[in-house]
Amino acid sequence: MTRNTLQRLLPLALLATVLCLPLAVRSATYLHIMILVYLYAYLTTSWNLVGGFAGVLPLGHAAFFGIGAYTSTILSLQYGISPWLGMLVGGVIAAAVGVLIGLPTFKMRGAYFALATIAFAEGFRVMVENIDKLGPFALNGPRGLQIPPLNFGLAEMMFSGKEPYYYIILIMLVAVLLLTSFISRSKLGYYLNAGGEEPEAAMALGINVARAKVIAMAMSSFLTALAGTFYAQLNLYIHPKSAFSLDLSFEIAFIALIGGRGSIVGPVLGALLLRPVSDFSRIYFGDTLPGMHLIIFGVILILVMTFQPRGLQEPLTRLYERLLDRLSGERRAA
Amino acid sequence: MLYIIEDAINGILMGSIYGLAALGLTLIFGVLKVINFAHGSLLMVSMYVAYWAVTLTGLHPYIALVLVVPVMFIFGYLLQDIVIKPIFKAEKNVREPITVIIVTTGVWYILDNLTLLIFGPQYRNLEANPLRGKMLELGEMLISVPKLWGFGAAVLTTLAIHLFLQRTATGRAIRATSLDREAASLMGINAYKIYNLAFGIGTAIAGVAAVALVPFYNVFPTVGVLFDIKCFIIVVLGGLGSIGGALLGGIIIGLIESVAPQFMAATWTEAIVYGLFLLVLFVKPSGIFGVKHDW
Repeated sequence: MTRNTLQRLLPLALLATVLCLPLAVRSATYLHIMILVYLYAYLTTSWNLVGGFAGVLPLGHAAFFGIGAYTSTILSLQYGISPWLGMLVGGVIAAAVGVLIGLPTFKMRGAYFALATIAFAEGFRVMVENIDKLGPFALNGPRGLQIPPLNFGLAEMMFSGKEPYYYIILIMLVAVLLLTSFISRSKLGYYLNAGGEEPEAAMALGINVARAKVIAMAMSSFLTALAGTFYAQLNLYIHPKSAFSLDLSFEIAFIALIGGRGSIVGPVLGALLLRPVSDFSRIYFGDTLPGMHLIIFGVILILVMTFQPRGLQEPLTRLYERLLDRLSGERRAA
Repeated sequence: MLYIIEDAINGILMGSIYGLAALGLTLIFGVLKVINFAHGSLLMVSMYVAYWAVTLTGLHPYIALVLVVPVMFIFGYLLQDIVIKPIFKAEKNVREPITVIIVTTGVWYILDNLTLLIFGPQYRNLEANPLRGKMLELGEMLISVPKLWGFGAAVLTTLAIHLFLQRTATGRAIRATSLDREAASLMGINAYKIYNLAFGIGTAIAGVAAVALVPFYNVFPTVGVLFDIKCFIIVVLGGLGSIGGALLGGIIIGLIESVAPQFMAATWTEAIVYGLFLLVLFVKPSGIFGVKHDW
């Protein structure tokens, strides 16, 4: 087989494998862990549009996640609107908020930007915790919102088994991966990259760096909000501390850095490594050694950043290329 | 009215201790240009060191200072030298050391959860210490004595750090590195050694804050998180990198926290603090005392 056909066939084989996975994995626990891997890969890929391509450090993406979760849940609970529609409404609101946050903050340098995004996200959490009713919408303050498991079905995005969730998040992940790989090769991607590396030089070339960043932020927050709706429908219960969690914002950044910030496969690799570590150590050490998974998280992060500062994608991509060479017996065209 | 004055005084005193906790953070940022997300955890570790020093030896809580400060200086120095420096070197040509910022978050997770593993989640406090619950009666007002001592410690430490930076050769080297790392290196200053030193001093200051807190505050593995975000807000209010600004920012936060609950539900004060923080970020990002350069 030639190298080119292999290069095209391997991703398809991988896709076929993940599509068939629920047939082989019958345990709901394992399937749930896979769903979380995809969810975090999706979230990190969306984050990567700003945090990776644009070279800034947003640490408040939980705000968009929470907006998505709350918007669709309120619309479906109180107005009977399908979460699919609520998902889009949440995405649009999150995008608007993202632009509002981005406009003033993108002018700031790194440290300030990171702190400003944290303050926004935490500010949202505090407000939702303190508001029982926002006009006609019941937020329920710290008690959160419970979705009664009554109307199962695709239209309500509510299922008794895990398999439909698996396929929904898989489709979302593949779509967002295609979108980012398209963007990375588009004009916007080049603008973002140039603006992230050398803002002054990029501006001197006539690139509107701030505008490119705001567009990326709008897309990133829109996509993050969609995941918020998915999360609400998966758990059927949201509250401010879970939907607007600071830990979520940090975990996304962790995964991105470990996998490889600014690369397409990085977020997927990072999620594939970190999520199972976190879930399994919680299953096995949860009672005896609380917090063990966070220690492992921190140690992995420090080790990877010390020895592979560009993330795991770099050595793994090299390994993949060598595998292609070996299988096809051809050398990669230089 | 008297209540409000009483709350305001106690708020200023508590706020100065917040400022003391944030002072190390602002010093580290000023030199390394890195927000140290592990700062709250270093404060937490310091509180455990102080707690055990007092519990095991039975000394007066403030005597623990002679143990806590050197221990935390060495801890911070080695943390920077062993964990953070290699990542700094790998990222040295990047303007925004994003990786280093995230790595300090990793340090935070490790320290908090290691403490949880070793000491468990329970709250500890120095029950029998002579300062606990001690009040000074000022007419009809009650002023907390340990907070008053904390205020003194905050003012003295701020003054000492200011003098150290302005008057000593090492202080000048630290300021030179903070202004321009390359130029300082050309003058024969070893920038990485200065980083270690700044990190050590910043952590030692967290140790001073811990000694001030321990007589009246609970010690538990996540106590640092309570101070973490507060410290970020304080240093931005006062100006990232500004020594005097940390104390002032701390006092502002302390005042809001103590006086605002008189007028609204206490849970809303947090929202006010975030709102003020964002306002300062947008209107005057260099903060109240901040110098307007590169960042």
